[in-house]
Amino acid sequence: MNGIHDMGGMHGFGRVEREDNEPVFHARWEGRVLGISRACSAHGIFNIDESRHAIERMAPVDYLSSSYYERWHDRNVRLLVEKGVITREELERRMSELAAGKDPATPHSDPKLLDCMLRVTRERTPYRRPGPAPRFAVGDRVHTRHDAPVGHTRLPRYARGKPGVIVRVHGTFIFPDAHAHGQGEQSHALYSVRFDAALLWGESAEPRAPVHIDLWERYLLPDAPARST
Amino acid sequence: MSGTHEHGHHHREPESVLSLRVRALESLLVEKKLVSSEAIDRVVATYEQDIGPHNGAKVVARAWVDPAYRARLLADGTAAIEELGFGGVDLQVVENTPGVHNLVVCTLCSCYPHALIGLPPVWYKSFEYRSRAVREPRVVLREFGVDLPESTEIRIWDSSAELRYLVLPERPAGTERLGEAELAKLVTRDAMIGVAVVKPPAAAAR
Amino acid sequence: MDAVPSREIADMKGAAALPRKNGELVFDEAWQGRIFGMTVAMSHDACFAWRDFQSHLIDEIGHAEREGESSTYYERWLHAFEQLLADKGLLDAVALDERTREFESGRRDDVF
Repeated sequence: MNGIHDMGGMHGFGRVEREDNEPVFHARWEGRVLGISRACSAHGIFNIDESRHAIERMAPVDYLSSSYYERWHDRNVRLLVEKGVITREELERRMSELAAGKDPATPHSDPKLLDCMLRVTRERTPYRRPGPAPRFAVGDRVHTRHDAPVGHTRLPRYARGKPGVIVRVHGTFIFPDAHAHGQGEQSHALYSVRFDAALLWGESAEPRAPVHIDLWERYLLPDAPARST
Repeated sequence: MSGTHEHGHHHREPESVLSLRVRALESLLVEKKLVSSEAIDRVVATYEQDIGPHNGAKVVARAWVDPAYRARLLADGTAAIEELGFGGVDLQVVENTPGVHNLVVCTLCSCYPHALIGLPPVWYKSFEYRSRAVREPRVVLREFGVDLPESTEIRIWDSSAELRYLVLPERPAGTERLGEAELAKLVTRDAMIGVAVVKPPAAAAR
Repeated sequence: MDAVPSREIADMKGAAALPRKNGELVFDEAWQGRIFGMTVAMSHDACFAWRDFQSHLIDEIGHAEREGESSTYYERWLHAFEQLLADKGLLDAVALDERTREFESGRRDDVF
């Protein structure tokens, strides 16, 4: 989707600000949000592609005015509600109860879940899957599609309808555009594609600053074959 | 035996008053059985390892001292880090050379090699970095204090899939006699993202 | 001792924040790591509550800043820790001075 999240190349943001002695979390609730996210992952309530798309679906003004972990929290609530795990009314009710000093939840321990959450944190989730043989090879000239899907995609707007060169064939991976929408994995070839800065940005491009993006085959169309020398 | 935890640079100077005082303090507290030196060692190690990108630094240091490992790391980052006991990430390692500097970003969200170098800093996830790194890398790098010659190619890697990118920085000059552990202490998180170069020990000393 | 780091310690804020560079703890000299480790190890062993040390640290930093002292973060940490030990009756300044002189003169060398 042409969402506000797709900000590569946007103008108007200023200097990158760096915080001295930056802590891992700026408030306790941020760590809790991370823990909740890992638990949802461990339970398989949503996959990573759905989770990214949920953040993308925030209203632009909300996206821009939220901190990173606020967006994660919004995502958790949005997906837990959409998947029928909680309702917004339940959440509001629990917030009132807690504000009044009551906490109906009883603490318990769940070693199996903890183990699963730690594994999710430490181990590589296998996004590589068997799939059809790649169509393109290193050195092939391609160009990216310029249609704008309404759903989730990982082709950034700044690289739509642009010519590029395949620099690496990564293998076959789960396809986010399908996986985010409950359409199965549809695994197929993923490539590293190199784009010349001048072709992306025009005259204002810096010299010698090529951008490489990991793109699925379905984002790509072949160019006419290069003349062999 | 007194604990020594030298970080980044090695002073062969007379021991400072403060250092003596702290040794005295440790000595007394150990004597009174209020603490053990081993416990102190473990605390320092745990905090350093939990809160730092030390795993990535070890990978870089190994690549610097072992050319065959470096070749394996560049060919298959995922397998090469597993040799050192690290996992959890499908990794692509990109090498800085005199003519090429690499820079990693995720314009669409904030993908980052967490399992190897910890949680990303806030600036990496910021709109400013995500929007500008792809379009004006040279300006952004200058803001980070990295001034590259015009002739250097800056390769930007937008982490749009589940592969994660790690920059293998250039080994600084004058470090030929440093061992692997000492080299690892020079490698910063910023250098592995590509917004810094690794400085030799003399330059890093404050 | 449970070596899992406490977020209470790692995430202190403001002037009391642990010095970091790139997310990593910075100890410019070895003694700084030792005093950090000593304080944390004793807190883990419940010799004192972390918030007691933290309030001493904040007081020490505030005092040093008001007096315009150029002391570094870990110098202030050391003073705060010594003050805490004295307040809790765990150590006295005289004994510490004496032990420091023993190390200085070379009469004593090992920590054990």
